[in-house]
Amino acid sequence: MGASLLDAVLAETLDPAYAQAAAARAAGGPRPTRRRRAALVAATMAVAGLLFSVTYDQAAAGAEGREEVREALIGDIQRESDASDDLATELESLTEEVTGTRDEVLDNSVVGQRALDELDRAERGAGAVRVTGPGLLVTLANADPEADEDPVGGTTAEDPRGRVADGDLQLVVNALWAAGAEAVSINGQRLGPTTAIRFAGEAVLVDFKPVTNPYEISAIGDPESLSRKFLASPQVSALAFIAETYGLRFEFAREDELTLPPASTAELRFALPPADEPADTGSDETAPGPDPTPGG
Amino acid sequence: MIPILGLAAGVLLGLLFDPTVPLWLQPYLPIAVVAALDAVFGGFRARLDGIFDAKVFVISFVSNVVVAGLIVFLGDQLGVGAQLSTAVVVVLGIRIFGNAAAIRRHIFRA
Repeated sequence: MGASLLDAVLAETLDPAYAQAAAARAAGGPRPTRRRRAALVAATMAVAGLLFSVTYDQAAAGAEGREEVREALIGDIQRESDASDDLATELESLTEEVTGTRDEVLDNSVVGQRALDELDRAERGAGAVRVTGPGLLVTLANADPEADEDPVGGTTAEDPRGRVADGDLQLVVNALWAAGAEAVSINGQRLGPTTAIRFAGEAVLVDFKPVTNPYEISAIGDPESLSRKFLASPQVSALAFIAETYGLRFEFAREDELTLPPASTAELRFALPPADEPADTGSDETAPGPDPTPGG
Repeated sequence: MIPILGLAAGVLLGLLFDPTVPLWLQPYLPIAVVAALDAVFGGFRARLDGIFDAKVFVISFVSNVVVAGLIVFLGDQLGVGAQLSTAVVVVLGIRIFGNAAAIRRHIFRA
């Protein structure tokens, strides 16, 4: 049955009605006028042509429309992210201005100077200032797509196990802290004490800003002891094994000079008035308390 | 000659006036084109075979287009539209190929 159906499809490519009509004509059936027949055929062919060109138009317009919408969306994203970058730059310069003014005012009194020293230490700990120094550069990257992956009809979704997850980055960062890193950043996003590294959909967010593959984690500290302790950490060996298994890129290098930007400024949540209010400086100047535990 | 002029006129008309197709009809356009191609190739081959008949050509053209559209429409309603489209394209494609081969044999004697 299957073979005969295929045979019929393959053998009978011409409509049998033509042969029947020819046989009927040969038997002496009625013949329509020549002119009417030509007009009929021409009209049908015109319909066919119309069909071809309209379909072509539709397909072309559809592809064009999709491309236009895509371009517009990409433009929107770029514009908004530019605006966000501008605002971040403005915030940075304003913060610098505020810091400068604060330092100037505090510098005028002994109490202020003491507060300034304390503030300096706190800021260093909170990652609020730019730091430069030697350190370690760890690179984590997603697995390369399989070489024999079929681009036509094959699965285009990449293996989720070949992607760097937030947990991998957390593991590396924690190992770096444990190895004695003084400051850490991921793709230029400095990690402060309250910075979160987490997943949102398929993107890794550091401090609620997306970072993308490949992930470069810079840590400042003594390169020798940092790399020794980092490599000795059992979590790092586990991650190296995972990277080997799923084809992730996991490398590290010692760097002579790394510059880490300041972390985003923390909100001021806790403040104490100075114990003895000096008359010469602004009395409403607040200094961080000795134990600034965040209220939230 | 006249049929070819008709085809060219149709293509020009479509390109010049750019008629808007109702949205519900748009999914059936590609399959209608394949069906129309089948009818046109069949007619051309019949002409070369010397058994062309205008009535058969017109009826086969219209019924081809309508039936192909109906099959796909029915498939869409049943949730197998894509598969039925493939079936229609495969069967008509084989026929177009066969007719094209016959036309080639007529023209080039090979």
